[in-house]
Amino acid sequence: MGFRTDLEYDPISSLQLRDPIIVHPYTLLRAAVALMRSHSLGCAVIVDQVSKPIGLFTEQSMLGALVSNASLDDRPVCDFAEPRFLCVKSSQPIARVWDAIQRDRARFVVVTDDESGKLIGITGQRGIAEYISDCFPRQIVVQRLGSKPWMQQREGA
Amino acid sequence: MNDVSRFTLDAFEDPLSDFEPPEYSCEFQRVLAEESVSALASQPYVHIRASAPIRQAVQALHGSHASSLLVTENGQVVGIFTERDVLERVAEQFSKLASRPVREVMTTEPTVVYECDPVGTALAAIAVAGHRHVPVLRVDGTLEGIVSPRCVFDFLEQYFEDASH
Repeated sequence: MGFRTDLEYDPISSLQLRDPIIVHPYTLLRAAVALMRSHSLGCAVIVDQVSKPIGLFTEQSMLGALVSNASLDDRPVCDFAEPRFLCVKSSQPIARVWDAIQRDRARFVVVTDDESGKLIGITGQRGIAEYISDCFPRQIVVQRLGSKPWMQQREGA
Repeated sequence: MNDVSRFTLDAFEDPLSDFEPPEYSCEFQRVLAEESVSALASQPYVHIRASAPIRQAVQALHGSHASSLLVTENGQVVGIFTERDVLERVAEQFSKLASRPVREVMTTEPTVVYECDPVGTALAAIAVAGHRHVPVLRVDGTLEGIVSPRCVFDFLEQYFEDASH
């Protein structure tokens, strides 16, 4: 049984979903950016009046606003939202997220409740990386991580 | 063979005589543990001078869709400037900071991996440390490229059919 089969079998709800940042279409850019910064999350989900996702405001959207000299205090997020985003249900297989990342080149995927269609979380590249790490914990080498060359990181003889 | 060399050979104990090579239940595990980061098709990097204004760096990030820039000074990498740096340190006061040099807001001493590290190290940098752009260094400390989640996933996907856990 290959790993692709695991992706087809395990539901998206088994991923470590991030709590979403929720904004409305006319939320001002400054408020959305402040929320993203304080939550250390690279996107905010734009929802309609019944909490249904209708757009995504990402760090790339933010860059677009900055290079166009948009005023963060005057312009709403809907002016710079990503035109396309993928929405999946929590009971769907993780393969849906994988395909969104690999085939559609998405970074984030919006996850909704099966029945109500309401937003329940965010996943994406990080979620998939965590899933693989959880499946193969002994091969994930955290000890080698660092910001200095090896010789400078070593201690002792 | 004289007495001296005979004594040396008799006294020698192979330090690896008890070594048991790791066993993997599938090729996917072996690849994570034993294939090196150099097997990943690391992306060519985009760089910018440390003295360049932040506005130029933000435009480069937006225009290149690279999501990260390596910051150089006198030919040496001194930091990395990413979308996350813009979010955390720049965006809310962009008009004030736009003409300041990028060295003031870049991330210094970013997490790096070496080209000879196992692929599992690059995955750890993404999954555990939470970095999306990890510079890859050669053994001599010079820069090879950048690995991103996409690089790692593209590489691992070819082993999916031979993976179980």
